[in-house]
Amino acid sequence: MVADVVVAPAVTRPRIRIQGAVKSFSGRVVVDVDDLVLGDQPIEGLIGPNGAGKTTLMRMIMHSTPLDRGTISLLPAGGRETVLSSLPAHRMAHHGVVKSNQVIMDFDKLTIWDSLLLAAAEARYEQPHRVFSERTVFGRHEDEIRHYLDYFGFADPTAFALSAGEKKLLDIVRCLLLRPSFLLLDEPTAGLPDELTDKVMTVVKDLAAAGTSVVIVEHDLNVIWSLCDEVLFMAEGSVILRGAPHEIRANRTVVEKYLGEGHV
Amino acid sequence: MDLKWLDAFLISGLFDVAMVMGLALLLHLQLGLGRIANFGVVGFWGIGMYVYGVLYVQVDWPFGDPWQFLVCAAAATLAAGVAGLLIGWLISDLDTDGVLMGTLGFAAVVQILATTQDDLTGGARGMGGLSFPYDIGTVKQNEFLWLAITAAVVVVILLYVWWVHRSPYGRLLIAIGGSEPLARSLGKSTFLTKLGLFTVTSAAMGFLGAMNGVFVHFLDIGTIGVAVTLAAMVGLVLGGTARVWGAVIGVILTVGLFDIVVQSYLPLPREWYTQAIPVLREALFGLALILVLVFRPLGILGDMRRDRLMRKIHGR
Repeated sequence: MVADVVVAPAVTRPRIRIQGAVKSFSGRVVVDVDDLVLGDQPIEGLIGPNGAGKTTLMRMIMHSTPLDRGTISLLPAGGRETVLSSLPAHRMAHHGVVKSNQVIMDFDKLTIWDSLLLAAAEARYEQPHRVFSERTVFGRHEDEIRHYLDYFGFADPTAFALSAGEKKLLDIVRCLLLRPSFLLLDEPTAGLPDELTDKVMTVVKDLAAAGTSVVIVEHDLNVIWSLCDEVLFMAEGSVILRGAPHEIRANRTVVEKYLGEGHV
Repeated sequence: MDLKWLDAFLISGLFDVAMVMGLALLLHLQLGLGRIANFGVVGFWGIGMYVYGVLYVQVDWPFGDPWQFLVCAAAATLAAGVAGLLIGWLISDLDTDGVLMGTLGFAAVVQILATTQDDLTGGARGMGGLSFPYDIGTVKQNEFLWLAITAAVVVVILLYVWWVHRSPYGRLLIAIGGSEPLARSLGKSTFLTKLGLFTVTSAAMGFLGAMNGVFVHFLDIGTIGVAVTLAAMVGLVLGGTARVWGAVIGVILTVGLFDIVVQSYLPLPREWYTQAIPVLREALFGLALILVLVFRPLGILGDMRRDRLMRKIHGR
């Protein structure tokens, strides 16, 4: 339960190793991680006060925020190590590393169906000479998409996602359709009603049980305590504690810096 | 065939409409879907026209038309495509301002090269020697057939654009136009997709340029000025950049109205045709652009309706 300690994995699953990763904005160091492995446990929670560097760290993993220095590697279950920090951002999904967005992002001109078909479609069908392949793509992915649409209860999937909650859900389903081996969720339940939060948690649990490594950043600590197998506490750009949820919850530093006395 | 109803102004006007409509449809793919603000349309069109003209006139081919036309037009298309690949590679990661400046600059370079390389292009004197790749009778009959062939090419472009809207490729272009970072996070190579789009559409613009060279018979550097880009851009914006039919309706209402109705049917003083009309045309197009952007920025047809389209294709 010490900073950046590498714990031996209980089962073989994809892991991400972050070594000497530093990111500064305007001279202020936002992330400074010496050696950290994510994915030892099926579901890991990343918590910490605002400005701790959680989202920046996730964006660094996805290479949507370039590193000042350091390396981030994917250690796939039974595969060769891949240096993620040298790959272009779009290649992350090809390696199964997928992230949902903290800030709501959506394609304004695409309907819910469009957006999900986009996520599911293989690159070979998205070529300028294959303009007659819509039915093929639809046929290949219709069942899977309908399953998620029904499960989450989208009101009219042929329309555009309008509410923040609908866009948040859409973001999560897009991630699921990419069949992630390592899923990073940045505040996935923010703005969702309890019923949908439970559904998201169930999907995440199922995914983890099937072998996907999940790291979740969440301010709703009930989600963290009930969902995660291990929790990492981040402050001032570094992971300073990691351990079982009940251990982190009871830790004095966490209580003082983040939770407050009333939460314990 | 009795073509008495077809005078020289009308056939020229109809050809202009078809040509600009083809360019506006291609621009629709770039700007309306991919959000690539290409202000150098005339550059790619001009490369196609001049490469075709130089090869057709300056090279001593061992075969005649129609093979001579086909080989020269293929080379012109290829040259415009390669130019599109290079320019696209330079501008793909730039923001809108950078794309605008880069493509505008490219069009200026093409015009300067056409002017200065006068050994090849004839420079400011222009270059003649082009002809139709067939001879079916009178000049009017030949022109009418070329107009019909050009219209058929534009219909093919229209059908392609129509299918793009109904394809995974079109969906990807719209996604990239909407949010590149989000598209990248879904594993989409936005750079290669934009590069491919720019290359293919630039090549098609070059082919249209070659077709224009055949029609006009005489290449003049004045024809590769900003007026071509302006006409395609104004037509597209007026009709609606995001809609398939936006380019068609917009070009009919701008180029069609001016080049056919005004030039052919309004009793304008004869001396206006040499100097005043081209200036008046550009001024009116510019005014139309300002008015559309102020009062109806999404154009006459408005924004694209993917919800309707998806229901039509896949049901509820």
